[in-house]
Amino acid sequence: MDPLLLVVIVIVLALFFDFTNGFHDTANAMATPVATGAIKPKTAVALAAALNLVGAFLSTEVAKTVSKGIINEGEGPGSVAITPSIILAGLMGAVIWNLITWLKGLPSSSSHALFGGLIGAAIVGAGFGAVNYGTLVDKVLLPALAAPLIAGFAAFLATKLAYWITKRPSGTASPRRGGFRVGQIFSSSLVALAHGTNDAQKTMGIITLVLISAGHQSAGSGPELWVVAACAVAIALGTYTGGWRIMRTMGKGLTDVKPAQGFAAEVSTASAILASSHLGFALSTTQVASGSVIGSGLGRKGAGVRWRTAGRIATGWLFTLPAAAIVGAVAAALTHLGLVGMIILVVVGLASILGIFIYSQKDAVGHHNAMSDVDNSGAAVHIPTKKERRSVARKARNAAQRAEMEAKRARRAADEAAKHAKELAAAELRETRRKLDEEAAARRRAAKADEAAPDAEATDDLDAADAPTSAAPAVEQKEN
Amino acid sequence: MVEWIAFVQVAVVTVLAALVIVGLYGLGVRLQAVAEDEDRNRTLHRVGSWACFVVSGIVVLFGIVLIVPHLSELVGL
Repeated sequence: MDPLLLVVIVIVLALFFDFTNGFHDTANAMATPVATGAIKPKTAVALAAALNLVGAFLSTEVAKTVSKGIINEGEGPGSVAITPSIILAGLMGAVIWNLITWLKGLPSSSSHALFGGLIGAAIVGAGFGAVNYGTLVDKVLLPALAAPLIAGFAAFLATKLAYWITKRPSGTASPRRGGFRVGQIFSSSLVALAHGTNDAQKTMGIITLVLISAGHQSAGSGPELWVVAACAVAIALGTYTGGWRIMRTMGKGLTDVKPAQGFAAEVSTASAILASSHLGFALSTTQVASGSVIGSGLGRKGAGVRWRTAGRIATGWLFTLPAAAIVGAVAAALTHLGLVGMIILVVVGLASILGIFIYSQKDAVGHHNAMSDVDNSGAAVHIPTKKERRSVARKARNAAQRAEMEAKRARRAADEAAKHAKELAAAELRETRRKLDEEAAARRRAAKADEAAPDAEATDDLDAADAPTSAAPAVEQKEN
Repeated sequence: MVEWIAFVQVAVVTVLAALVIVGLYGLGVRLQAVAEDEDRNRTLHRVGSWACFVVSGIVVLFGIVLIVPHLSELVGL
């Protein structure tokens, strides 16, 4: 195969890896501020993209070795030269694994995916002896355990501190913990900037290494300006596209984030990244950020951590290296077949990238629906300004007055109705009593008439039968 | 070789830095609320809260200096 074509393919794939790296890691910096409503989703990705772009230009301390000593590079038994085709295979593994984890919404380390791909390719190239397992444990496995622990512990304590320090007795003016939201803008920006300075370097290093190995650039020289610019643009574009699926997992899936807690998590993330990159114990940004979010969830009272999601993420981390290694190994095996294999690799690679993308469109997750209740929750914790509070108070007062008047009127109406009802009842009672009296009187009169008649009964039975009838008109007359 | 010393260093620095920044910023947020109380010196608390914000901002600036190699060289780190 034409070496120049291979170099071009590797560069294109490396830039695409940079792109996936960007959108995979937007969540590290921006998931928590978006979740708390500190920054609007679109603004957040734009800010992160700009800072990644700037960050990529700020630092060009390119890693001299892509694999950081995990693979036995150079000469000697069991060693393998990092050729463009091995890098191509490694990148393929990394890109495909990055896309799969994105589809699943799992934050996973892009560097681990890259290491995995390279390891797989190197094993195919030179056997299992090509991998420096001690370095693998030191540089990948141990940091993967340490990162979430360190960041999580820091975030746990920081969250506790943030809530303790802003706690006030009830009855006094409560601290506006929403004030932390402003802080979140700065803390998340710092994370985004750190990401740009770190991660764009990886791709710059790869491209420079390929250019050197193909003889297009003198050994030991730094990256060309166009490489820096291309990498910066690729990572910024990726960041702006935003891995919204991962944003959803980080911002909502692990725990519900409140401003003070989000601020604590981001500060812990930033501290851990800066400390690790300056004290020589390299930690993955993604793993640090995930650990911080979990730690802050544990630190805030009432915020539960969804351990199922955390478990899924951890499983993803566990699989990142071997899975990318398998893809890398298959890709490396194909490159050994020569031109045909290379064509198959590129076609299959493109097809799977396209396939994953099309599959993802079935239920697309974008800035509009990644955290759909963000706006609602933002409104729920909306902190009104003094003016708003005054107007709300005024409205409440007016409403109270109105309600009181209404109540008074209702009471009056009720009183009147009761009075009216009482009068009616009294009238009815009088009427009934009168009727009863009349009946009683009638009965008494009838009885009197009966008493007056007994002799008639003795003389003639027929007359006795007539007596009441004859008495009745007499009664009527009396009454009238 | 496992770099235990580096590991401990990173852990300690991370926790301390996070606590200092969050503590300062949180104190700033609290002082702003205290300034609203009736029997307090409003100006004093306002100034205090802003001082807290500024100091935590300086810590963040220090972070940026650490990130950018040129700036690190400039301040001699």
